[in-house]
Amino acid sequence: MQDILARIAAQAGGWVELRFQGRSTQQIAVRNGELEESSSKRIQGIGVRALVDGVFGFASTTDLRESSIVETVKAAQSAARTSAAAKKHRIPGLASASMAVGTFPVKTSDPLDDHPLEEKLELVLRIDERIRKASSSVVSSSTSYAEIQDEKIIVTSDGARAHLFVAIPEFRVMAVAQKDGNQCFGMKANGVHGGWRDLFAAMSPEDMADYAVRTAVEQLTAPLPQGGLATVVLDPGLVGVLSHEAIGHTVEADIVLGGAITAEKMNEKVASELVTMIDSGASEHAPHATGTLAVDDEGVATRKTTLIENGVLRSYLHNRETAAHFDVEPTGNARAFEYSDAPIIRMRNTYIEPGDTPVEDLIAGVEDGYYMCGLGFGGQADSNAEFMFGVREAHRIHNGKLGEVVRGATISGNAFDVLSSVDAVGNDFQWDLGAGTCGKSQYAKVDAGGPHLRCKATIGGRQ
Amino acid sequence: VNDETQLREQCRGAIAAAKQCGADEVEVFAQTSRTISVEIEKHDLQTSSSQQETMIGVRAYVDRRVGFACTNVIEELDATCADAVKLAKASPKDDHNVLADPVPVAPIDGLYDPAAETFTVSDAVNQAIRMIETAESMDRRLVLGGGSFSANLSSRCIVTTRGIDVASNGSLFTYHALATAKDGTQVSNMAFHFDASHAVDGIDVGPVAAHACRDALGSLGAKKGESFVGPVILAPNAVQSILAGLFAFQLSAKNALRGASRWGGTLGQSVASPSLTLVDDGCLPGGVATESFDREGLPHRKLILIEAGVPQALMHNAYTARAMNADNTSHATGSARTIPYIGPTNLSILPGASSKDEMIAEMKNGLLVNRFSGSSNPISGDFSGVAKAAYLIKDGKLDRPVTGTLIAGNVFDALNKLTGISSDTERVFTAILPYVRIDGISVTAE
Repeated sequence: MQDILARIAAQAGGWVELRFQGRSTQQIAVRNGELEESSSKRIQGIGVRALVDGVFGFASTTDLRESSIVETVKAAQSAARTSAAAKKHRIPGLASASMAVGTFPVKTSDPLDDHPLEEKLELVLRIDERIRKASSSVVSSSTSYAEIQDEKIIVTSDGARAHLFVAIPEFRVMAVAQKDGNQCFGMKANGVHGGWRDLFAAMSPEDMADYAVRTAVEQLTAPLPQGGLATVVLDPGLVGVLSHEAIGHTVEADIVLGGAITAEKMNEKVASELVTMIDSGASEHAPHATGTLAVDDEGVATRKTTLIENGVLRSYLHNRETAAHFDVEPTGNARAFEYSDAPIIRMRNTYIEPGDTPVEDLIAGVEDGYYMCGLGFGGQADSNAEFMFGVREAHRIHNGKLGEVVRGATISGNAFDVLSSVDAVGNDFQWDLGAGTCGKSQYAKVDAGGPHLRCKATIGGRQ
Repeated sequence: VNDETQLREQCRGAIAAAKQCGADEVEVFAQTSRTISVEIEKHDLQTSSSQQETMIGVRAYVDRRVGFACTNVIEELDATCADAVKLAKASPKDDHNVLADPVPVAPIDGLYDPAAETFTVSDAVNQAIRMIETAESMDRRLVLGGGSFSANLSSRCIVTTRGIDVASNGSLFTYHALATAKDGTQVSNMAFHFDASHAVDGIDVGPVAAHACRDALGSLGAKKGESFVGPVILAPNAVQSILAGLFAFQLSAKNALRGASRWGGTLGQSVASPSLTLVDDGCLPGGVATESFDREGLPHRKLILIEAGVPQALMHNAYTARAMNADNTSHATGSARTIPYIGPTNLSILPGASSKDEMIAEMKNGLLVNRFSGSSNPISGDFSGVAKAAYLIKDGKLDRPVTGTLIAGNVFDALNKLTGISSDTERVFTAILPYVRIDGISVTAE
């Protein structure tokens, strides 16, 4: 297939990018002991992007015969030519990049295909039962397993020849506890780029279930937090969510050009000097981050991109078009979810670098504040970095000691203000957004994480 | 290109293959779609594209156990059928796993325009240009930050071992505009508007761009608002964001069956002000979601979900209808890529007596919210988020645009505090919605 695509690319006339993608997915969902869904999906096709007269055109096909792929290239070129007449700003050119050549397999010792459907189904049913039996307060349970396996071949007329494999399993649990008409939720979701054993390396499915039940039940009798600005210790999960949702999107170069708050801040101080934020195609500090990607969908070898270095904004996230616009090297952030999607700028693994403070010291340094863990229900962030997230689990901190649980907590503010208030960064590290799917006109599997850190943010609570 | 005949053959072939693997009941849904789309970004044309795909979804039943598999690799359809049967055999048995019995399906006029067959990328580009030009002709401070025009032609076919054998063709043009106004250092909120047409003749992108542009211009110069607890008028876009998901969740028979719906067990008891009547009609003339049959091959029909504040019916598919011994309301939704879910088609809040302007004129103090960016929990009813393109209302008039204003409340409470539903309605994706006035909303100026 790669040879056919290379031949077609060479003969296309002008710049073209051809991406074959074969995808197999599996989904098992159980709720209250009943199977909601057991399904599989197998899709494949070729997406073609052509650059003609400074304009991109895109076309896709599921017909893999050479003649059909050639027709698809012509359709993409024709779409580009058609809009070229009316487009105001032509793309002057694509930034040169280190185009990937080679085969990039999934790194795991325990491939998903070695585990039969029956084993996965049995696990989901068993964990769902465990949730319901764990506490008499639990009124509802839900457990699911999903996996995506991709094979991609990416060829461009300027040298990319990449054969890439991706495997992403994920496991989710949710418990609903009820008392006196009051309902509380507990949940946990993990996902990795890797194999079956890797999925449960950080936490066993039993521990995930027990965590969901414990946090749901604890919240039943917990008070609401007091609203207002507070000193908070954020866990790696919330550090990841803040990095991805509230900062990461504002440094995607297409969003920057659309008028994000970061447009005027390059090389300016935007955070505490303790903060260094990265977006990387590799899985630094801990293995198997979900957004791990050796090659992006433009065929560019991915890089470790330092977004914020010791508090100073250093880079945006680029595809080849925006890299040329800003006169920098592409960062390998062009991604497409399916063969029928054109690549757009997306994050991969986004995180804050660990510091040197032990986690217990972070908490010990708080006289009156909160310890907040993980993304709960709800949340939103804007291109001006204003955010509000529901929190999965929250505790009070009194005199440097973890205190009572509070329920329904939210955290909000301007992400740059929050990062500017950071006064200590933990020496630990964890990925926590591995089961996350980011939406931006198409989906992307991403990860995010970091160490614990201490900062100031606005706390809210809902009834 | 796959036509109905070819889809039907593929469905029948898949049924035979699944039965060969040991299925005792089978449903096959085949769907072909051709899409042309043009994106607008930063007030300029972006990538134009053309796509085509045939997707086939197979639900196989073995002794009341069910599995689902789908593919767009038609040459591998037999393997997909084998997968569906394998998944079924491994699944637990559930007595409610049944396929629907056939009910005659009448074709619905106006869903397919033959002229759509010859609609080209160039035609789509011209429509996108018209949106940009509309903004330019209105005010130089306007920018269409985003938008799209998309033309879709589709054929669907469902064949089951219970005797369902239905097919239809459709054409749908959808378009939206996201407008921002910039004046010096002032930047307005982003304003959004959407519309759609099944027929080429019905395409009218100008008013969509103009509506988004008017909202963007209106919010220029917005300043900090005021904090209060009081009446808020939600525009159709905000009604969709805050209320529509909760209606769909609470009135789903599946959620009622799980005990997750507050309304599921209490049909006939008031949950909202008597001014609220909610209707779902999969046959609505011109409706974006109008189709002659649902995801399980049953004819759509009009269903009154809430009448004068009182829930009357839940939305059912074959599974819930059997499990709850109720009428199947043909609310199976989804594509050939998914198992059938339950959901509304063209959901409408029926219009009230007063116009939006009259509703504003009746208010002493309040807030008009054109768009809502935040979250609305369909289970608890809690909602909170940012009011976009919002205006303070003073003494019956729009006083001034405000920014950084949060609204929060609970939908279950709010439905009992509806004090007005407008006579003017707008299309928001598949829904047809009025302006809605609600009392007792917490408004916080940041």
